[in-house]
Amino acid sequence: MTAHTTAHQTNFQKLIEKNHASVSLRRKVTNAVMLSVTGLMTILALIPLFWIIGYVVYKGGQYINLDFFIHTPRPLGMEGGGVLNAIQGTLIISGLASLIAIPPAILAAFYAANNPNTPLGVVLRFSTDVLSGIPSIVIGLFAYAIIVKPMGHYSGFAGAVAMAMLMLPTIIRTTEEMLKLVPHTLREASLGLGAPEWKTSISVVLPAALNGIMTGILLSVARAAGETAPLLFTALGNERYDLGLIIQSGIAQKQGFFEILKRVFDQPVDSLPLTLWKYAQQPYPERIEQSWAAALVLMIVILLINIFTRLWVESRKRRLQG
Amino acid sequence: MSKITRSFMFVLLALAFVLAACGGNSATPETIVQTQIVEKEVTAQPAMTEEPLPAGSVQINGAGATFPLPIYTEWTYAYSYVDPAVVINYQGIGSGGGKKAIIDGTVDFAGSDSLLKAEEYDAGKDLQMYPMVASAVVVIYNVAYENVPDGTTPAKLVLDRQTLVDIFNGKVNNWTDPAIVELNPDLKDFLPNATITVVHRSDGSGTTEIFTKSLTAFSSDWTAGGASSVEWPVDQAGNGVGGKGNQGVSAAVINTPNSLGYVEISFAKSNGLAFADLINKSGNKVTASAESIASDMATFGPEAFDDKLTATIVDGDGAGDYPIVGYTYLILHTESMTDCVKAGKLLEYVQWTLTDASAAKRAGDLGYAVLPGAVRDAVLAKLGEVTCNGEPVMK
Amino acid sequence: MTKYIHPLPQTHWLSRLRRAISHGDLPWKWIIIAASVLVMVLILAVGEMLWRESADARSTFGFGFLTPTLTPDWDPVNDEFQAWPFIYGTLLTSLTAIVLALPISVGIAIFMAELCPPWLRMPLNWLVELLAAIPSVVYGLWGIFVFLPTVVTPVAEGLFETFGTVPGLSVLFTGPVPVSGASRLAAAFILTIMIIPTITAVTRDVLLAIPTSQREAALALGATQWETIWQVLLPYGLSGILGAIILGLGRALGETMAVTMVIGNSIEGSASLLRPGYTMASIIANEFAEAVTKLHTQSLIEIGLVLFVLTLILNMVARFLVWSVARKTPQEARA
Repeated sequence: MTAHTTAHQTNFQKLIEKNHASVSLRRKVTNAVMLSVTGLMTILALIPLFWIIGYVVYKGGQYINLDFFIHTPRPLGMEGGGVLNAIQGTLIISGLASLIAIPPAILAAFYAANNPNTPLGVVLRFSTDVLSGIPSIVIGLFAYAIIVKPMGHYSGFAGAVAMAMLMLPTIIRTTEEMLKLVPHTLREASLGLGAPEWKTSISVVLPAALNGIMTGILLSVARAAGETAPLLFTALGNERYDLGLIIQSGIAQKQGFFEILKRVFDQPVDSLPLTLWKYAQQPYPERIEQSWAAALVLMIVILLINIFTRLWVESRKRRLQG
Repeated sequence: MSKITRSFMFVLLALAFVLAACGGNSATPETIVQTQIVEKEVTAQPAMTEEPLPAGSVQINGAGATFPLPIYTEWTYAYSYVDPAVVINYQGIGSGGGKKAIIDGTVDFAGSDSLLKAEEYDAGKDLQMYPMVASAVVVIYNVAYENVPDGTTPAKLVLDRQTLVDIFNGKVNNWTDPAIVELNPDLKDFLPNATITVVHRSDGSGTTEIFTKSLTAFSSDWTAGGASSVEWPVDQAGNGVGGKGNQGVSAAVINTPNSLGYVEISFAKSNGLAFADLINKSGNKVTASAESIASDMATFGPEAFDDKLTATIVDGDGAGDYPIVGYTYLILHTESMTDCVKAGKLLEYVQWTLTDASAAKRAGDLGYAVLPGAVRDAVLAKLGEVTCNGEPVMK
Repeated sequence: MTKYIHPLPQTHWLSRLRRAISHGDLPWKWIIIAASVLVMVLILAVGEMLWRESADARSTFGFGFLTPTLTPDWDPVNDEFQAWPFIYGTLLTSLTAIVLALPISVGIAIFMAELCPPWLRMPLNWLVELLAAIPSVVYGLWGIFVFLPTVVTPVAEGLFETFGTVPGLSVLFTGPVPVSGASRLAAAFILTIMIIPTITAVTRDVLLAIPTSQREAALALGATQWETIWQVLLPYGLSGILGAIILGLGRALGETMAVTMVIGNSIEGSASLLRPGYTMASIIANEFAEAVTKLHTQSLIEIGLVLFVLTLILNMVARFLVWSVARKTPQEARA
């Protein structure tokens, strides 16, 4: 503490001396130049952003069409192939991953919000940070070891588990923040009326923060939907995946709901980023065109979710803060 | 016929199957219109089970070599019209990946251009390799020719078997080496006085296995052996570099002037890379093509196959034989499959790829050579030995 | 009300337990504790899995697996593995990215925290965060087909011509530059773009947390705005900015897809920034699915373990630094 204070005092002394001695023009010029440099840096960083978005829209826009959304891939040289399998796969994996991640994440967030300073609270915050720092490829290895290997085959379920692990820390953190934004008076009023803690949490605090939590979840789903690395050794990919066909054949074979559900999740599936990655590496132009189209779809979904949630969070914060 | 027309005909044929098999159940208005102009062609009818299963009820997963990926993609797609009950997914993750997956049992079948080793047969218990199609490994090159007059293109590079071995031994290391100049009199004035950068695979691969087995057959000077990965003499000589996958080798050759490497023919074609003509064992200049591959296969015939149904068919002595040729294989478990419906459907599919006329035509169009009749019969006989829970799968 | 129903005295443990359960708070408490513990358990499980599954590789290769070497050996056929080329590739690309990203990010953070008009701050913040929202594979796709040919190749050629023959520096800048541009430099550039949001966000928060009194004091002493920032604010928030750098480094180390797509994936002896290379994450992505032998698989998992431990340490250090700034800053902070 003291070391810092003295350091700053010397800084101030230096400044005073400088003010007396230096040429003010040079300082003014330095000031102006350096301040504009920070502005330039900002512009420099935004160039790639607009470049990527612009180029993806330009390229993807050329190759996107209805077939892209309603058909599964076709062999090279055949018109009308799409990536329906990957779109369905992305939805299935993100959906299941959300189902797996949301309940424990919200519960843990309750703990973190209510007990920030207990030892477990500190550990929880730390492990949340660590979990979000683990490289996604390592999470993929983990999911391979605990699910793919014991089950004996690649599956959408394994992919969803890996995704859920990536989503967990983000949801915990945003939920915790949203829970903290709920006015204390609300919680105290409920407790004061004799409602137990759990009932207060679930039916008073949670609803009050629900919109914010939902946006946090949406953001983390958007982030997860764009991930590829954890799916490489879990979901693997499947060009022939067709949800409609699976359900139809399940019904035709008189299988029960759970049997069909099992078939939906228990086989390899593709996802948009996975398809994009595989296609971008192939030497065939039409595959590369499709990967641009896939990039466009991904970008649109992710940008929409981001813009929508941010607008929502801002308006909500403003309302809560009065 | 253009590619699109061909594809179109293929779809029509495939759709004809659907209509034949399912009595028009799955026909959309689009397909009904199209079938009116379908040509009749005799094809083997898939063996049907007593009661057809509903569409999409059997999911079969495979993975492995990337080299047969184009043809496998087409076959599995077409087969979804032949037997809508079956959904076949094949992922190209490399021969090594395919072997690992079938040994671990994470897939139902694997693709590989590299032969299983003894310990891999042991690890996988009851594995059997079935040759599917054959193709060639070609020598790609990127030479920065000098003093080429405007408006002319230098002739194709020609190499003989000994020179190829010398290049990969690092003995011939300059483009102006007399051995190369002598073989290419037309290029004499253009060849640069530059070191040959030799690009080889850095990963274990079936392509390398086929290529180094060829080098072993070409000359006793090649002592590094024939395997999916070897210690490259050219690396010790200092002018060799590695690239990962057919993709990596192609990229390295494209990006390095005065380089030379080897890839599966489909990669050379799809990347528009020049590949050398070779002087074969009987002294003729041959270009890699479906015909010269088939000629080599015919030279060896079905006798080349050992009891594991694997064969090395490099360096044939027929007049039109391309010398660097290999089979790509499908790997199955012969006894430990437990889902007999799935096993049956899988074997029906393999049978279809080997016997159906449209399947063979498609393979030929993509530059693959299909199995000679006698080999095909041997493979089919071997398929008949596959059992599921002790019962033969094929009736 | 209930107290008349229970024959047991209120203070009896059984009655307390029963009340707690019927009230529902005790189960609730345990459920949320269980959920919190789950997060910790997951991390331990990841670490345990990586440790256990790499046992053979660790005992076979020992520390030689990780130590620097001039003749790296990665030979799946003869089952000999050394991780150095990947560790080197990861460190070189990540550190280069940090060096490039730091001035840009600090510039943006200063602009956002100190200079820009309030109405611009929010949209600017969104835009920078959007950079983090773009999927890795999209960066890779754009990198291969747009960024590499238009930016990386010319820059690399320029660097090669300028520094390629300078003694000392030539190790980092030997060519030839691949025509496609796929190189460690390309990976470093893409990583730079990807970690800018991370470093910017933390640095901006650190700057915003510095009490206004510091600024006022400096300005009152006659300092220009830049001098205030450079000589007062940045030194004040230094440890926080250090934390930001380390967080950015953590992100760069683990980045997989974009790097795999642009780095060229080649295991070669060259130490040059301008040559293709490999990173720890990209070797796992490329080879794990096709590793057949046990040692090959285990070596890849051991690389995963190295990555895990590295990110773990970096996270701890970064959190400590950020936390130490937060502690130093008085609560009244900035009104």
